[in-house]
Amino acid sequence: MSTRKCWSCGHEHAAAEPICPACGKVQPPVASGEQLDRFAVLGLKPSFDEPPGLDEKFRALSRKLHPDRFARATPQERRYSLEQATLLNDAYKTLRDPVRRAEHLLALRGIQGDPKMSPEFLEQTLEDREKLMEAKLAGEPLDALAAGVREKRDRTLRDVRALVEDGGDLAQAAELLARMRYYARYLDEVEGRSAEL
Amino acid sequence: MPALLQITEPGESHAKEACTSCAVGIDLGTTNSLIAIVLGDGKPHALAVDEGGPLLPSVVHYGEGGGPGSVVVGRRARKLAPEFPRDTISSVKRFMGRSSADPETRRLSPYRFAEGESGVVRFVVDGARVVNPVEVSAEILRALRTRAEERLGIKVHQAVITVPAYFDDAQRQATKEAGRLAGLEVLRLLNEPTAAALAYGLDKRSRGMFAVYDLGGGTFDISILQLQEGVFEVKAVGGDSALGGDDFDRALAEILLEGQERTPRKVREAIDAAKQAKEDLTRVEVTEAMGKRITRAQLEAAIRPLIEKTGAPSRRALRDAGVPDGKGLDGVILVGGSTRVPAVRRYVRELFGMEPLADIDPDEVVALGAAVQADLLTSESPQHDVLLLDVTPLSLGLETMGGLAEKLILRNTTIPARATQEFTTFADGQTGMDIHVVQGERELVQDNRSLAKFTLSGIPQLPAGLARVAVTFQVDADGILSVTAKEQLTGVSQTITVKPSHGLTDEEIERMLLASIEHAEEDVQARLLIDNRVEAQRILKAAEKQLESNGDLLSPEERQQIESQMAAVRAAAQGGDHNAIKAQIEKLDQVSADFAKRVMDRGIERALKGHSVGEFDQGELSPHAKKAYEALRED
Repeated sequence: MSTRKCWSCGHEHAAAEPICPACGKVQPPVASGEQLDRFAVLGLKPSFDEPPGLDEKFRALSRKLHPDRFARATPQERRYSLEQATLLNDAYKTLRDPVRRAEHLLALRGIQGDPKMSPEFLEQTLEDREKLMEAKLAGEPLDALAAGVREKRDRTLRDVRALVEDGGDLAQAAELLARMRYYARYLDEVEGRSAEL
Repeated sequence: MPALLQITEPGESHAKEACTSCAVGIDLGTTNSLIAIVLGDGKPHALAVDEGGPLLPSVVHYGEGGGPGSVVVGRRARKLAPEFPRDTISSVKRFMGRSSADPETRRLSPYRFAEGESGVVRFVVDGARVVNPVEVSAEILRALRTRAEERLGIKVHQAVITVPAYFDDAQRQATKEAGRLAGLEVLRLLNEPTAAALAYGLDKRSRGMFAVYDLGGGTFDISILQLQEGVFEVKAVGGDSALGGDDFDRALAEILLEGQERTPRKVREAIDAAKQAKEDLTRVEVTEAMGKRITRAQLEAAIRPLIEKTGAPSRRALRDAGVPDGKGLDGVILVGGSTRVPAVRRYVRELFGMEPLADIDPDEVVALGAAVQADLLTSESPQHDVLLLDVTPLSLGLETMGGLAEKLILRNTTIPARATQEFTTFADGQTGMDIHVVQGERELVQDNRSLAKFTLSGIPQLPAGLARVAVTFQVDADGILSVTAKEQLTGVSQTITVKPSHGLTDEEIERMLLASIEHAEEDVQARLLIDNRVEAQRILKAAEKQLESNGDLLSPEERQQIESQMAAVRAAAQGGDHNAIKAQIEKLDQVSADFAKRVMDRGIERALKGHSVGEFDQGELSPHAKKAYEALRED
């Protein structure tokens, strides 16, 4: 684990620590051009399932790092607090959502970018959407269609989990994971209709 | 009135010893404004600031002469309104951060608007004086501040000011600047519903999921919040920044005005009569206004469509917060005077499927919450240890090819937040990129609100698609956005804090601020005259310098145009009208805008060639980037 010196008191501490354990001053976020481990930001181990205590960790860290806590601090500390809180919020957003969390996990294992979607899947997607349009035009209830897609979505996520957890083909996991976006958009469209009312 | 008892508590006069930090909370409302403070008893108190009560009507009257005593705020101003409808500005909050082209500006209102080229709303008052909404709001804040100081016997410097959660970036900026102009350090802009929840949550010491339904004079806000382990998390917000009790009054005024001539005075009378009738009808079934018999049923029929407009944003917020249809909600908090209307309460009950909470005065609850937040921010040992986590009310994005809005930060993202996206050039050799920042949920740029436009210049000449420009959005804890565009290869970058079009530059605010603090007794007009003369001199000097060193960038006609405008500034500075000087300075700014841009481009060009860069703000090159660029040029 990499370490660094506190800008204020010079104490050497773990680089991921947002607050110096010796003097309690807020530290700047680690400069990282590489993929930053969002799990580490919250002091958690990478995992496919939601790490236990995620919400509690987030709230506890927010209470320490939020700019409100630094309203009377120096401009430098206020800037660090803003950056730390920004990072924390982003990490929490990533880890809270099963798809984003899985994508991040794959990214940490070196699988990044948009995978090629299989033609079969794309064809199936087009077909699903056509059915949705027809149902919408005909004013039919969309519940059954939505339930079908939801089921596919849940099954796909389980498949990704199996691949990731059991040392399977990560590239294939990435391709399956990318499908989640299509499902999400489809479900947005179904639910979007009731939100307009 | 119980409020009268509360505000004359003995605690206040000992505030000096009693309050720990003496930072205040201010609810800058559309109809009424309030100021509150946490005293030694650990509780927030609304201070009596107008005729013994805590409500200061948000009305500003501009009297004759323009001297220090000519501005009247509050109840007295409201009384002057029927006689001087055009010199008395009420509901100014509706105009904050809005342009004069906004349909909102053109609605039923008796004011005269100054013809402005810059698209800024300006009211013409007292014959020829021109004021903008920020200045009017600052008068309200100044009145609150000085009256609170009198009551407390201490100076008030710091404040938390509340804004509707649905306020966009321009409206937030405008509010913050009004605070500065009134001599206040604005510690935080706090969303009104969040403030209300803070007042309630701490009162009840509870945990759970709450909805705050806030229908004020001019805005509707809905927020869903969760309180647990000392953290108040805003889960979702929504609303309508142009819907409120004033609309109820207008709807009823329309009925009263049927078949009548619409003079400004008549309109004002009808609106006042409607307001009174609306209040009466919360208690009785039938009343009379302007000689017409009005029943509650009539009022409810007129306002029903308006009330129903709160339904869609409420449902969306519930869905965003993961409590669709209000299932899993622990309480609904009512905020805003308009929630007193029985038809509104009925609708809320229907919408959320539960009886709403209203045990704190809905008029005071926001200011009380703001005072709590002010205490949290400034005390060594705040009375309550709780943290607020707020969210962005609207998505923030950029215009991309074809007029589409690309969202970088989605609505309801916890703040502070940041997002970066890379864009590339679409033409060979393209050296500039227009960055257009928009706010809103719609797909097309034209349907969203335009926040800012700027150009990143100095992109190295490359084939289309090779240059990479990273645009970063950073939203701070006040919900205010700054945007950075950076060309990745050369490191050329530009950062702007998104500025609203309220018509005041930072320097102007700063100057007016100084004028108001140091020369409170002096005639403000005289001060402005001096300041504008100084500004005129400064600008003329700068222009002369640029003409001398970069005059070759201009055609003879362009040069002539700038020089004649410089003469006009000089002439105005001899005169005694500060507005005229300001106007001529602005015109010079416009006339020379293109010139300034060319000078800037030249600067960046030089910077890219590795010449002296120190004198330019932009285009600073890292040694690494410089080398990369040199290598490119050799290819």
